[in-house]
Amino acid sequence: MMNRGILQALQKIYPADRLLTRDVELLPYESDALTAFNAKPGAVVLPVNEEEIIDTVRLCHQLALPFVARGSGTSLSGGSLPIPEGLTIGLNRLNRIKKIDPLQRIAVVEPGVINLHITEAAQPYGLYYAPDPSSQSICTIGGNIAFNSGGAHCLKYGMTSNHVLAMKVVLADGTVTRFGGESVDGVGIGPDLVGLFVGSEGLFGIALEITVRLMPQPELYQTVLAAYDDLGRAGDAVSMVVASGLLPGAMEIMDRLAIKAAEASVSAGYPDAEALLIVELEGEALQVEAEFEQLLGIIEKSSAIEVRVAQNEEERTRIWKGRKGAFSAVGRLSPDYIVQDGVVPRSRLGEALVEIGALKDKYQLDVANVFHAGDGNLHPLILYDGREAGALERAEALAGEILALCISLGGSITGEHGIGMEKRDYLPAMFSEEEIDIMEGLRRAIDPNEIANRGKMFPGGEAPALSQHGVHPLERAGLISRE
Amino acid sequence: MTMYAPRSVTELQALVLDSERIHVIGNGSKPALHCAVNGAAIVDLSGMSGIIEYQPAEYTATVRAGAPVRELSAALREKGQYLPFDPLLPEAATIGGTVASNLSGSRRFRYGGVRDFILGAQVVDGEGRAFGVGGKVVKNSAGFDLSKFLVGSMGKYAIMTELTFKVFPDVPRFRSLGFHYEELEEALSAIYFINQSAYELDALDLAPPSVHPINRGKKNGNWMLLARLAGFDDTLPRRVERFTAAMTRDTATIRVEELHDSAALWNPLADLTGEFLVKVVIPPKQLPAFDALIAHNRRRYSVGGNIAWAATDDIAQLDTALTSCGLTGLCLSGAVDSALIGVPIDNALAERVKQVLDPLGKLV
Amino acid sequence: MATAIEKCVHCGFCLAACPTYNLLGEEMDSPRGRIYLMKNVLEERLSADDAQPYIDRCLGCMACVPACPSGVEYGDLLVSYRALQEDQRRRPPLDALARKLVIETLPYPRRFRLAAQTGKLSKALTAALPDAFAAMLNLLPAKLPPALPIPPVMPAKGARRGKVALLPGCVQQVLAPEINYAAAQLLAANGVEVHNPPGAGCCGSILLHIGAERQARDIARRNFTQFPADVDAIITTAAGCGSGINDYELLFKSQPDAERATEFSQKVMDFSAYLAELGLRQPAGFEEERRVVYQDACHLLHAQSQHAEPRALLNQIPNLRLLEIADAGMCCGSAGAYNIDQPAIAAQLGQRKIESILAVQPDVIVSANIGCITQLRQQLDRLGNPLPVLHIAEILHQACAD
Ligand SMILES: Cc1cc2nc3c(=O)[nH]c(=O)nc-3n(C[C@H](O)[C@H](O)[C@H](O)COP(=O)(O)OP(=O)(O)OC[C@H]3O[C@@H](n4cnc5c(N)ncnc54)[C@H](O)[C@@H]3O)c2cc1C
Ligand code: SF4
Ligand code: SF4
Repeated sequence: MMNRGILQALQKIYPADRLLTRDVELLPYESDALTAFNAKPGAVVLPVNEEEIIDTVRLCHQLALPFVARGSGTSLSGGSLPIPEGLTIGLNRLNRIKKIDPLQRIAVVEPGVINLHITEAAQPYGLYYAPDPSSQSICTIGGNIAFNSGGAHCLKYGMTSNHVLAMKVVLADGTVTRFGGESVDGVGIGPDLVGLFVGSEGLFGIALEITVRLMPQPELYQTVLAAYDDLGRAGDAVSMVVASGLLPGAMEIMDRLAIKAAEASVSAGYPDAEALLIVELEGEALQVEAEFEQLLGIIEKSSAIEVRVAQNEEERTRIWKGRKGAFSAVGRLSPDYIVQDGVVPRSRLGEALVEIGALKDKYQLDVANVFHAGDGNLHPLILYDGREAGALERAEALAGEILALCISLGGSITGEHGIGMEKRDYLPAMFSEEEIDIMEGLRRAIDPNEIANRGKMFPGGEAPALSQHGVHPLERAGLISRE
Repeated sequence: MTMYAPRSVTELQALVLDSERIHVIGNGSKPALHCAVNGAAIVDLSGMSGIIEYQPAEYTATVRAGAPVRELSAALREKGQYLPFDPLLPEAATIGGTVASNLSGSRRFRYGGVRDFILGAQVVDGEGRAFGVGGKVVKNSAGFDLSKFLVGSMGKYAIMTELTFKVFPDVPRFRSLGFHYEELEEALSAIYFINQSAYELDALDLAPPSVHPINRGKKNGNWMLLARLAGFDDTLPRRVERFTAAMTRDTATIRVEELHDSAALWNPLADLTGEFLVKVVIPPKQLPAFDALIAHNRRRYSVGGNIAWAATDDIAQLDTALTSCGLTGLCLSGAVDSALIGVPIDNALAERVKQVLDPLGKLV
Repeated sequence: MATAIEKCVHCGFCLAACPTYNLLGEEMDSPRGRIYLMKNVLEERLSADDAQPYIDRCLGCMACVPACPSGVEYGDLLVSYRALQEDQRRRPPLDALARKLVIETLPYPRRFRLAAQTGKLSKALTAALPDAFAAMLNLLPAKLPPALPIPPVMPAKGARRGKVALLPGCVQQVLAPEINYAAAQLLAANGVEVHNPPGAGCCGSILLHIGAERQARDIARRNFTQFPADVDAIITTAAGCGSGINDYELLFKSQPDAERATEFSQKVMDFSAYLAELGLRQPAGFEEERRVVYQDACHLLHAQSQHAEPRALLNQIPNLRLLEIADAGMCCGSAGAYNIDQPAIAAQLGQRKIESILAVQPDVIVSANIGCITQLRQQLDRLGNPLPVLHIAEILHQACAD
């Protein structure tokens, strides 16, 4: 239960129905899409306009009350996990698209706007919003900004950061500031503050208004589905495509287990195979047709056991529906899972997959692989049954080894899901002590009380109620230490 | 004014620790950025040069900040790749200078600017600490993205020593077209038409009547919209045909001509002579109001009308014009007190970074 | 129940589809939130009474089911949970009274007719009555239409292409007898022999919807004996009944008559689905273009995944232009007894729905469910808009009459 004084202060900003304090109202906010962690917030507020958010952040700063912003709670790294007894600020009601300007190809939106809704609003003008996380039908732009979310179609035009031109934000100490503009050059002059804010995982403050660029809908898509009897061959095909100089809009791979889950979920009609590669070309029709010829030539040489080409929009949608639903579809195969998000250099994909295969045998757990092959962003889904004693620990240990593997191959521990709660102890494996010091310094320069999303991203700190933790595998491997 | 040319990160760190005020230049290709640094030690990074690692199959390249842009471009070209943000001064600038000043040429239109292609950096900050920001793989969202912050940071927050970029495959063929319009508004409508169409242009610039060589000297010359298509031999001619047909169908073009595609044609600064050269970040919709105020100046509207380049001898007048339009300009050449003119930038967040990276305010 | 809860991986994909989440914007009123609440009640972390208001606010529209990649059987979960709680539940006296009225009146056409007529008398009293009553009374038209009796057997016209029995339904029989009348005529005109067993009645879904499981079973059992066994299908013109009967397997799980229930439910087919499969015999169509919005009933779209069938039928009609609306899959707020239980939310959903319908400027609204039809009529009345709302059987009947 939250302190009376704090509640009274919140009551001055929020009517009773938008200030949630009873258990029954708080429990559903206990976790995001990473259910291995949960923590009951002290209260949840549901602002409906920018002023309320600013007032709330200022109040939190004054009272040193930790807060976490929440969009749709689909974070896979515990980003919107509440801070125990802290405040959760639900932004989903700020869901207005304030402006669509088709001439300049921009949209101005509130932070709680759902990613896909921007595309829907832009569609009548032949435009769309490019970053397409698999969760695009429900995740919010605010959440996308926090994690610099990407998607299958980010190979050519980039992730969230590459599509945000301007922002108005309230920093954690209550300062309201704006940067960027409606020009496609964005910030353009002076340090790129949009670039800095995007990906800051809610630690700098809350985005209040976001200007994004829209893209013209490609005239033509050509979507090719190639099946392989070996995961490594699918990886090789990716390298061949890259080497050819083609720049596809998307290159995705799914392995047998992921195919099975997706198939059970949406009956996409995928072929029965060890691995599936989806390559999609997009752009001006004449150009795409020429590239398509070239692509088919490459795929033919890649020892695919079956090749299918989407003949119409419906077939294309079906292929993508299977891919986009693959994560949650894994819920059909296993009661619990952990998704990892490591990145390896594209040319070492094959190596990484073989290594993951060996690890899963070692830990006797199933791992489904669904990933953005074009940019080396792996998404191994580690399946486990939380009711089985020790299963979570084994899954965690396996996850840790996969992350260590990504680092040792010269990659990153997260491509798009963020560090959040889940990977905060792995940060030291990627950054030196000094680098982390500097980042923490920056955080404190913006947020002296460390109230914004306290406990996330940086190692240590007070931990919310976890349903876990053994010795960290990186610790065991001597890569990090928590002293 | 003392000049230093460190040859290593350690030397640079020592220099930062020993200096009270320090200012970095790459090759000095944008002199206005080096005004108002009286008394500061000048650091020339051209001694820290060379490509460290280039992996065509990864689409990544890491270079030292003092490396000339042309060196990197040549290496990329050999493998059929390029820097899609199109460094503005490909012959004179260094990589570090290009990032620090965030200057992109016309081809930025296709895929994006410097910020969209920087992956990571090694830096030395105002405290003399050497560290890395960002990463080396094409996708990474661990930690705060200080590498993007460095884009446009003018050396005031940290000195870049090494930079990693994402690169793309380039295309072999280009065709350039010029579309003539009597009025700016008409040319702008054509830009809007292109914005909503699926034609993929490599570059799109707008040249006012007085500026473009074709129009120069004529009293009532036309606005010329310069469009560039890139692609392969087999499809390019037909794409040019389709595009031209579409452009002449619905818009008020009075003449179309095929232009000789050259680096000079696509250098937005080619014709801009004047004491001061200024970059302005502008939403296309503001072009008519702004243009009316600076119509007597040499200028070119680049990147689909989103970046204005203007040359002037009267910087005060340009400053007033910018202010009245609510715009900011960055002065690249000419003697000015501050390189920033027009409306000041809201720096609240940048100031916090300064507190951390350079609390003593050494980097100017 | 446990597997349904376990399968939920908390991904949130279902939130976008849920009308109450869209309207109320809080996690407790989302499918994910409700599942989590039910889980916490079952694990005794939360009292059932606390959770109840949020479960009550669930429309049961099942939009969350096709939206869930993980395959959570939300419908089964909800029905089982409601049934479990129902037994242990104490309700405030007025609610309990309204509930009793629903249980004892709605499924029985004669009683309902009577209640409706007396209810009409008390329309003047609505202002003084609690919301729940007011909503119920508002459901009723000013004047009940006269009953339209259908003969027990209607012979097929021309060559016989099929033989079916028609499920009479409950509320619909009283409020809109013209629907089944049109359906019977149309089927016959298309070569189908139509049986109308006089003893058949309500399917019990409305009771199941409010958690009155036992009463629902009693009512369902009566139907098993009433229908001829040799028909190709038992046709329903009420989407709610169709999906309710689909749930018989669950309703009769480990109960006497389980097998009969399954057999019965497998025979039941929605009117549009049956006719779409059969195909219309050369419909005459309309003289002038008619702009038509087809309003998807949740029970057809989500519970029985029928999207194409009704549209295919309408597209067969010359001069009928089918229009698509924004958020077509979003519930109109009628949802069984929802209008009665949650009048405020129902009204808001109704308002949204009618706004997106009117935005495309139709001449006629068509639906396949009496609940939706009533809800939309009410919304139009409120706006003083005389736009007709027809059952799909009616418009097809009009279009096929020469
Ligand atoms: C099945 C599934 C598939 C997914 N697929 C992808 C994918 O393909 N690519 C990908 O990148 N991600 C993916 N994700 C992860 C997730 O959807 C993204 O991280 C998304 O951006 C989170 O959005 P949200 O609205 O749910 O944010 P939340 O989870 O509510 O919040 C995420 C973080 O954002 C912060 N935040 C929210 N709003 C603001 C704001 N206005 N200002 C500042 N900070 C804010 C929160 O504090 C929190 O730290 C997937 C998730 C699931 C469950
Ligand atoms: S979509 Fe399915 S798995 Fe995801 S939260 Fe909803 S019910 Fe749970
Ligand atoms: S049945 Fe309808 S109202 Fe209930 S949770 Fe599912 S979508 Fe929401």
